[in-house]
This record gives sequence, C-alpha cells and structure tokens, in this order.
Amino acid sequence: MNIRISILTKLICIALVFGLIPTRVLAAENSADEQITFVRLTSDQYRNAIRDIFGESIQVSGNAASTGVREAGLMAVGGRRLTLSAAEVETYEVLALDIASQVLSPSRRATLIPCQPRDESAADNTCASTFIESVGLHLFRRPLSKPEIETYAAMAATATESLGDFYAGLQSALVGMMVAPDFLFRIERSVSNPEQPGMRRLDAWSRASRLSFFLWDTTPNPALLEAARNGDLLFEDGLIQQVDQMMGSARIEDGLRAFFADMLAFDRFDTLDIDTNLFPKFTKNVEDEAREQTLRTISHHLLNNNADYRDLFDSRETFLTPALAALYGVPIPIRQELGGRVPWVAYTYPEDHVRVGLLGQATFLSLFSHPGASSPTLRGKAVREHLLCQTIPPPPGDVDFSLVRDGNHPDLKTVRDRLTQHRENPTCAGCHMLMDPIGLALEIFDASGVYRTMENGETIDTSGQWAGQEYVDVRELATLLKDDPTLTSCLIQRAYNYGTAREPSRAEVQWLNATHTQLRDEGVHWRELMQRISKNPDFYTVPEAATN
Amino acid sequence: MLRPESLQRRKVTWPGILVVLSLTFLGITLFPLHVLAEETRGYVVSMVHTATYYDELTCPNGTNGSRPDVLIRRVMADGYDREEAIRIVSGIRANGGRDDDGNLVGSAIVLGGGASFSGDQSWNGFDFNPANVPSVLPDPNAHNAQGRYMLGLNLDGEAGPNSWEHPVTGETGIDNEMWRVLGCWDVYYVNKPVNPYNEGIAWDTAVDAMPAWLISITGDDLDQDGEVTVTFDRALNIPLRDAYGSIMSGASFAVDPNPRSHSEFKGQISDGVLTIEPGDFYLQGESQFYPHLQFSGTQLRFELKDDGSMAGHIGGYQPWRDYYHYLSVRGETDGMIDLIGIFYDMKKYADAIPDPDTGQNMAISAAYFMEAVPAFHVDEGGNLLADSVGPGPKFSGPAVSQYSNNEQ
Repeated sequence: MNIRISILTKLICIALVFGLIPTRVLAAENSADEQITFVRLTSDQYRNAIRDIFGESIQVSGNAASTGVREAGLMAVGGRRLTLSAAEVETYEVLALDIASQVLSPSRRATLIPCQPRDESAADNTCASTFIESVGLHLFRRPLSKPEIETYAAMAATATESLGDFYAGLQSALVGMMVAPDFLFRIERSVSNPEQPGMRRLDAWSRASRLSFFLWDTTPNPALLEAARNGDLLFEDGLIQQVDQMMGSARIEDGLRAFFADMLAFDRFDTLDIDTNLFPKFTKNVEDEAREQTLRTISHHLLNNNADYRDLFDSRETFLTPALAALYGVPIPIRQELGGRVPWVAYTYPEDHVRVGLLGQATFLSLFSHPGASSPTLRGKAVREHLLCQTIPPPPGDVDFSLVRDGNHPDLKTVRDRLTQHRENPTCAGCHMLMDPIGLALEIFDASGVYRTMENGETIDTSGQWAGQEYVDVRELATLLKDDPTLTSCLIQRAYNYGTAREPSRAEVQWLNATHTQLRDEGVHWRELMQRISKNPDFYTVPEAATN
Repeated sequence: MLRPESLQRRKVTWPGILVVLSLTFLGITLFPLHVLAEETRGYVVSMVHTATYYDELTCPNGTNGSRPDVLIRRVMADGYDREEAIRIVSGIRANGGRDDDGNLVGSAIVLGGGASFSGDQSWNGFDFNPANVPSVLPDPNAHNAQGRYMLGLNLDGEAGPNSWEHPVTGETGIDNEMWRVLGCWDVYYVNKPVNPYNEGIAWDTAVDAMPAWLISITGDDLDQDGEVTVTFDRALNIPLRDAYGSIMSGASFAVDPNPRSHSEFKGQISDGVLTIEPGDFYLQGESQFYPHLQFSGTQLRFELKDDGSMAGHIGGYQPWRDYYHYLSVRGETDGMIDLIGIFYDMKKYADAIPDPDTGQNMAISAAYFMEAVPAFHVDEGGNLLADSVGPGPKFSGPAVSQYSNNEQ
C-alpha cells in the first residue's frame, strides 16, 4: 500500500504542529487549570517508540529529527525549546508513510490490527475506531478522546472512500497520528499544586511518559500505561512499584546509554571530521566502534559491576575491537572469524599503562579535537563543561589565534609553549588557565587517540595543577578529578535535568545537594541515583514558568 | 622492554639452564645476560608481488603487449594479415571472432582459464583447455627480458652469465630467471610505485578475505646490528585496513599453530638491512593468485624503516608450475599474458632442481617485492608472541594475565 495523505489531512497535521488547533481542545479531559509543556522526541526515542509499539520487524529508515540544541549542558533540556519546521513535518510524514505501510501490510494485519473490516473495500467505522483507539493509546501515550477518535476515523473513512481500500484508509489515519504533535512531542499536562505554590504536578499519563523516557528512553509500556490509567503513579507506593519493576529490566541500559550520549556530547559525532590523511587509523568503523566502546564501558561499569561513577575516570577496564586495539597500540586476543560480527573483547590495561578512564578513550579525545590536531583547550573546556557543569565563556571576537595554531613555529614547538605565550594576553588568560592544564595532560594522545610522547621533536610535558595539587600525567589528573566533588554533583544534576528536561527549581536544588552529600559518602551508583530521582515526587512537577 | 613470559619460556631450555648453572657455579659468567633479554617484533605482510624493474635495456625489441596483442598474433599465425586479424579480434565479443568470409576463428585463439578456473573449459570445439595442456600448442616465442639490471637476490653466491646486477645496491650475481619470462609483458613492465596489474589487483582483493601472512624478528636489540631469527607464519585472522586502504599497523594477529606455514631462518641486521641464511620457505595463502608461496634456497633483503615497517625482496627457487598455475587460474583476460608462451619460457629458463628422470629443471629463480607493517602476534590463548613496534613510544608487552576471556 502506498498512498499519500490528503491535502486536508496535511493541513490538519501542520495546524496541529503549529498550535493552530490546540491539542488540549481535542482532548476530552482538560480542566480549566491544565497547562501543557512540550519536549520533542529525539530520533532514538522515535525509533524506540516505533519498535515498542509495532515490533522490531518494522524498519525505521532515515532520521527525521534535526539536530537539537544544547541547553544547560544537555540536548534533552534543549528539546523543550524545539518546534518543528514545515520541512521537518514533511520529513516526518514521509517516514510515517513508510512505517504505516509496513504496519498495515497484509502479513502484519493479523497481529497488529485488532479487528477485521466487514468489507476490505469499504469504510468500517467500528473497526477503524477500534484500531485508532488501540494504537492511539501507545502513540499518544494517553487515551484518545472521543473527538480525537472520531477525527481520525473520519480521516480513515474519507481515504477509504477515495481509494476503495479499508487498509489504505487506515494507513491515512495512522500517518495522521504519527505526524501529530501528541506523538512527536512529549506533551506533559500539569495542574496547579496547592501544596507547592509555583510548581505544577504532572498528570498520571505525563508521569508515565517522563518516567519511561528517563529510565528506558522509550514510550511507556502497557504496564506503565495501566498504572497511569489506574492512577497508581499519582501515589507513592504505586510509583515505587513501577520504578522498581522498570529498574529490574534490561532496558535500563537504553536509558543509561541515551543519557551519557547526551551528557558526553555524542551529537558531535554527527559533524566529527578527523582528517584521515593525518590520522589514517581513524576510519569510520573506528569512529563507530569508539562511540560504542565508551557506552559499553560505562554500561558495564555502572550496571553490570554496579561500580562507582567516579571510578570510570581511572578505570583500566574497557572493551576493544581489533581496530580499536590497533589504534590504541595494544595487543588483544583474536577470535575474529571471517564474516562475523565485530568481536568485542573485554580488556584491562596493564597497571603502568598511561591510558586510563573515559578521558583516554578515542571518543573523548577525538570529539574534542580539531580535524587536524589535538586541542588542549577544547579538551579542557569539555571537561569543565560536560563533566563538571561549569561554564566557560566564548572567546572575545578579536582574539588572534594564529600563534596557537602555528604548529611549525620555529621556537614554540609544542602546543604548551604556544598556549603559554597565548596566555600572556590577559584577556585570554582567565579562561585558558581553567581549560589548558587539563587538556595539556591529554596531549600524549593525538586527535585520533593514538598515544605519542613527542611533539615536533620535543618531549610532551603532561604535568599541571588541579585545585592546587600537582600532577605529572593524565593518570594523576584522573585521580584528582575523581576526588573532586564537582564531578559527582554535576552527574547528579545532569541526570535530574535530563529526566525533567529543564533546570531545577530552588527546592529541587536543595534536594540535589542533599542527595549528592549522601551519595558521595555511600558511593555514586547509577541504579541508586536513578531510583532516588524516579521516586522523588518533585521529579514529576513543572515550574509555573516552564509551561509553554 | 618487558619480554612476554611465553617468549622467555621458549628460549630457556634445560641444557641452557644446566650450562648457566655450571658456569655460575664456577664464577665465570660467560652466558651473556642479554640473551635472556631478547625482543621479538611482529609484522604483517601488507603487500607482495613479483619484483619488477625495467630500463631501456630490458626489452630492446619491444614488449609483448597485452592480451589483444596475444590474440592478434595467434590469428596472424593462422595466415591472416594484421588488418584482418585486428578485425577478427575486435569482433570476438560481437560475433565470436569471424574472418571476412564468416569463418569462426575466435574459438581457436581464446583460451579459458586453466586448472581450477570454473568457466567454460572448451576450446575450438574440443572438450579440453590448452591452458591445462599448454604443450599441445606451439611456442609463440615471446620476447624475454634482457639487459644488465634487475631486482632480486644472489641465490647461488655466484655471478654467472645469466645473473643480473641489482639496480639499487649494485650487487652482482642476482638470480631472477623468472624476470626473463615475465619482464617484457606490459603488465609486468612497470616500476614502483606501480604494481604489476594482475598481482596487485589480486592482492588488493585477497587481503580482505585471506588470513594474514606474518613475519617476526627476534634478537638482542633490534635497533642495533646483530644476529636475529626470522620467522614466517600464517595468521588465523585477516588484516584490517586503514583510511588509505593500506594494511593497518599495530593490529593483533593470532598465529596459526599449524606448522605447515611456519618457516624459520637465521638472519642478520646490518645497517638497517635484514638478511637471512638460505632455507626453505612455505606460506599457505587463500588468495586467488597465491594458493601458496614456496621457495627453496630462500633469501631476503628487507630495509627496516623509521616508521617501523620494512620492505624489500624475498626470493628463492620457486616451482615454476606454481607460478604458471597462478596465471592460468586467473586466465589470459586477467593475466594479460600468453599462457602458452609463459609455459614454454618458464620451462626454458627454469634453473634449479632438475627432474631426476628428465633433467628438466622444475624450479626457477624468482624474486618478490614484500612489504610488512608492525603488528602484534598472539597465540590462540591470547598470549603475546611478538610486539608491534612502530613510530612513537614503544609499548612494553603486556602481562599475559591481563587478558580476559569474556567476550561481550
């Protein structure tokens, strides 16, 4: 089946997207007090939702979502600022058409359509409404109102009459739902909270969505939707029960991966352009494997080992492929068979090895480098901003970088020499003093992550100071970094903000500080942190000022 | 550099221990400590092909051309003039190769690949392929390489009337009769950086599917001159490519424990050049060109480069039917040669290992260009056998116990 939705449908969809027909008008259970906020789904969340609603066999080809914007250190927070352009709606429509045609293909109808029409060439409002109500619950993550069901059923009937095919009509309605903002956005409905002036409480359906996208990076499953329908999520015991069940699922890894991909700025992979003429080992495969290495290492460390977050920074345990091992210059056991999948091998660096922790992985080292050279400044800035939640202001517009970039300078042979000279400009010194020492410790790794000890014939000096304490190399820096309380407070704050897609209120900041104090003593363990955040009633609130 | 435990174990034998204990007991430490501090560097072969070299003396009468020239000459040998022969050959794809009177000529001049070639093996109405029985056709008397210079090695230690002079080192007595056979065919009439077409393409295709060929060098201090041991082995895994499409250095290879593809030589490093004492060499391959590569009286001369790689020539007396087989499998279309001519010339110029019954030499002196980049060698258990030593800092061999057997 390959049809296009009607002009009228398209207009309705675009109108929905741009708010010309407010969604809450279509919803039945709006109270006068209700307000809504929007958070656009990421491309992974879209993909995961389709997988969970329609099954793994449905192919989602292409990526309709444009790159978002990073706000307060997270793309998730920036997602609250995103709308959809007309071009993006078109792209989503094409994607929806493809998915809908797969869902309604003859081979899948028996399992994905809950009823059969009386006549496949004629409209059947009862069957269409049954399908729309059923699938709508999962797509919109809430029950559809009667007017909504009638609207989409009418859409199906019109298309059926025009095309003479019930399933083609149903496809039209399904496409309509899939380009509706209720699917493409996480629409959070909230009401005022007399007990907490200034903060609004999410309704049960919105709580289910927030929880599910936070922990599993996907749409709520039937059990969670049922808990929302029952109102269980509005009460502490019901919420705790659902959180505990979700934390016990293997899908918790999806949530962890999505969070760290956001926190560690993996969106930079989209534009990563390491010059392979200079760094020939950094192939596209190696780039993809580096990304997976980082997520696999984090997941194994935090979930499988239930280890402390801080230990990620000086851990010698990781996972390697043959190509990554060649990049890092270490031997690995070989089990590669021809035509097989990429063989990942658990690997532990020797005690005296200089490559430790996340900062020694090609992901961090390449993402924060220039295409043709490493950058102590970019790497130092990344540590400050992405791991410590600090803000480094952009450089003034009139700064002359030519000296720093002059890799052939006859006297200033190392980037340390050139940055030292650069910092003599007092305008630059303030920020560079914060960034450069961290990055200079990582200078033993080039832009692709390959280990080196010399730059232009000079031995690379990796020493520096962190918070008044001296270090000689990246291993000692990692030890100092993991002992810095800012590292853990940043993680806790980012995790919370990631789940709420906003910055915390004053009350929430107090809760975060208290949580940080406790976890620093008890150990910063991912599962514990997720549980605490998910079970915190404030997590399901929206400040008055945040509502759209 | 820390040497892997497995290598240390390999060197320390019971007789050796007894000698050391005896000498130590006598207070005479004649057993040098540095013997126990040997290092082993690993390499993976990143390119191999028949050595080529030409200058103005190589083919004074011109080259043999390429496949169209072969076909045209075959038609002309049947009495056609050149113009009609060109028309016949040009029409092979369209009409099978017919003369001006409509007679089919093409079927008598086009040979399928021989041996394991899986295509049509019929020829000129017969159910057999002359590529498999080349002596049924007459010798086309192709041009052979001449001149003074050619790459290769002095295999017999002598400078005879048929030996060449090395164009780079000036060494005389270079034995490379295979070059006389191949040197005037256009696909071999090339100088570096161009590779001989047929073998270059075959190698480039094969490396993504063929278990790698490995070399190791063991010695006291491989940055200095001295005696070494050189091994060749086949790996269990295939090489990786870098962004240039070249073989990636620093990768790990599991050495095939099957001794069939293990060759070991005493050798020497002198002024950054690696050489070996003559011996037998065998490597099994899975390339469509090299099912295997074998020599007797093998020698090599590799230059050790600053980037950790090495390149040069390896050669010896090679069964000439091996090479004919490689070419016939590829066929004349890929090989761009006259298989019949190659057969007769190989037989004519073969210069070693005479058949005891017929006296026909069964091997021909040959030389191959070989290049290798640093690589780790490990055994099937993941124990380090050889370090990858490239540019930049030199990693110590990691402790064997660091490996985890958990595959995720």
